[in-house]
Amino acid sequence: MFLNIENLHAQVEDKTILKGINLRVNPGEVHAIMGPNGSGKSTLSSVLAGREDYEVNAGEIRFLDHDLLEMDADERAQQGVFLAFQYPVEIPGVSNKLFMHTALNAKRAAEGLPALDMFDFEQLALEKMKRLEMSPIMLERSVNVGFSGGEKKRNDIFQMAMLEPKLCIMDETDSGLDIDALRIVANGVNALRSNERSFIVVTHYQRLLDHIKPDFVHVLYDGKIIKSGGFELAQELEERGYDHLIQAYEKV
Amino acid sequence: MTTLSKPMKKFSPLAQAAMDYYQSQAKQLMQAEGEGHAVTAFRQAALNRFLEQGFPTRKDEDWQFTPLSNFLKTHYAFNGVSRIDEAAIAAVKPKVDGWHLVFVDGYFSEILSDDLAGMPSGVSLESGKDALDFEQGFRVFADHETDIEQDAFGMLNAMLFDDGLFIELAAHVRLAKPIVVSYVQTLASHANTTRCKIKLGRGAQLQLIEQYVAIDAGCGFENSVCEIDLAEQAKMSQVIWQNLPEQGMFFNNQFIDLAEQAQFNTHYIGLGSAISRHQNHVQMAGERIESEQNSICFARNQQIMDTRTYTGHSVEWGASRQLHKLVLADQAIGVFNGMIKVDQKAQKTDGMMDNKNLLLSNKAQMNAKPQLEIYADDVKCSHGSASGQISADQIFYLQARGLTKQQARQLVTLAFLMEPLESVADHAVRDWLQQALSAAVTPYLN
Repeated sequence: MFLNIENLHAQVEDKTILKGINLRVNPGEVHAIMGPNGSGKSTLSSVLAGREDYEVNAGEIRFLDHDLLEMDADERAQQGVFLAFQYPVEIPGVSNKLFMHTALNAKRAAEGLPALDMFDFEQLALEKMKRLEMSPIMLERSVNVGFSGGEKKRNDIFQMAMLEPKLCIMDETDSGLDIDALRIVANGVNALRSNERSFIVVTHYQRLLDHIKPDFVHVLYDGKIIKSGGFELAQELEERGYDHLIQAYEKV
Repeated sequence: MTTLSKPMKKFSPLAQAAMDYYQSQAKQLMQAEGEGHAVTAFRQAALNRFLEQGFPTRKDEDWQFTPLSNFLKTHYAFNGVSRIDEAAIAAVKPKVDGWHLVFVDGYFSEILSDDLAGMPSGVSLESGKDALDFEQGFRVFADHETDIEQDAFGMLNAMLFDDGLFIELAAHVRLAKPIVVSYVQTLASHANTTRCKIKLGRGAQLQLIEQYVAIDAGCGFENSVCEIDLAEQAKMSQVIWQNLPEQGMFFNNQFIDLAEQAQFNTHYIGLGSAISRHQNHVQMAGERIESEQNSICFARNQQIMDTRTYTGHSVEWGASRQLHKLVLADQAIGVFNGMIKVDQKAQKTDGMMDNKNLLLSNKAQMNAKPQLEIYADDVKCSHGSASGQISADQIFYLQARGLTKQQARQLVTLAFLMEPLESVADHAVRDWLQQALSAAVTPYLN
């Protein structure tokens, strides 16, 4: 079992947002989650990554051999869960280099691997940055401070490339990207695809999916998955919107 | 005939006892210096003022958040036999290549200081003690006496200073290495009262590092006054590192005079002491002066940290920059008070003062008062103060990359504190400060 979400209910403050999500992801699969605003897409990403503001009041998430909900965000990250943020956070005064060096060594420690020294780390980082068409200067700059929207998203993909997670959750990574940035981000993601690594791609639009070609597409509405299908479902949504699916769901 | 006399001020028994004690100590010092010495009249005048005004209380606006009762409870001794452990003193010296000078319990130690024979000509360096041996020697330290004695600690300093440092650089003299002064305390409840004078001739350049630390039982009352005088185009950068034990008392008052096109840059880093109060008074009395004043304070438990600046622009085209950062944990109290005053003549002044504070506990307290007083009409001045907590979004972002919550809080807090160090131009000094600050603060971040 790679990832199995069963009957997941979650609320923030007093508002129930997820109302029974069921989702099974196998190694190497790419799942897209689509849906109108307020359907719970970002909440699902946050709950998977372990954000504390959300309270899970029913359901279960199994990830590999772990009860994911019992783990803190940092333990999840160390076990291979990665969240690419809708809004990557700025951290003044902390360089990308120090941040990623610390993060990578935290993960290596969890895996029982020796720490990478600064020299080896830098070599590795510069290699990955090159592929993402990032300037080496970005390594010295404070995390996301003064970065454009595209640079921030690229920086998140860079972190993903460095940490080589098993499960990548991408929370509207495509929002705010121009066409070139979208291509670079999508290429970065495609370069990381493998038989062992799975993706959950949360998005509003088909354009990212055109580049990434998901195996499965799920429509989230009112805290539930109301329809699942293949890539053709995304194309159908692009043409017809969500309304017909919502109406069909609400009639039942 | 009637005599008018001012009503006597009433002092609390605690304050009165402390005043009596410091009076007796001043009298002893004057006796030792010998009747008829020129300094006697100087000390007596300060003593008279002190007996009249006494210690400030919380009713004094400038001391509202800095209560002195814990200071007044201990009568700090002026005698004592220092325990000189050369290895321990060597170990606390900053790891910076420079001309190292050492004071032990308030007195200059020639043996522990570097041999200054190799210093370039044009540098005069003298201990305050040696200067005081001259009949009028104290006068080199007293250009700002009226301002110095605005404050009980200034008066105490005038009554009791017995050593210090005089540094003068002749015109265009530049020292390749910094002068590094370590004020080391080795005695408990001991008073260390020093005066310094730094004088740079036209175009001279100096980098000065001062640190206040303790070894053994060292834990006392540091009361220093420093006058800094920069002639035209002189350039000075200063770092003051204060990491005394948590029960220490630290009062430092600096008076800085800048002439045309002078450049002055100072960083104060305050980590120790039960009560600490660091003050700069900067007078920018020439065209195109650049001054920069920064501070970093980390306070925990019941520490009180008080940082104050006064920046006077009196001539055109002056630029002043300030960034003051405090991190407060536990029940610590932080105080920032800054004033930029721009005279009518000081057109084109560019003044910026920023104070940012991070509160790690909801019992910590920050009192900030940034002020502008502007009489010119063509200036660019700004001031601001903001206090907040660590952002939960930042912590989650770091945790989502595998850093523990503790690592994340440490990283964010240290980054917040380190920002003012970016303007330390000397890389070796900046590296030392970053490492020392990280090592000093990290154990208290969780």
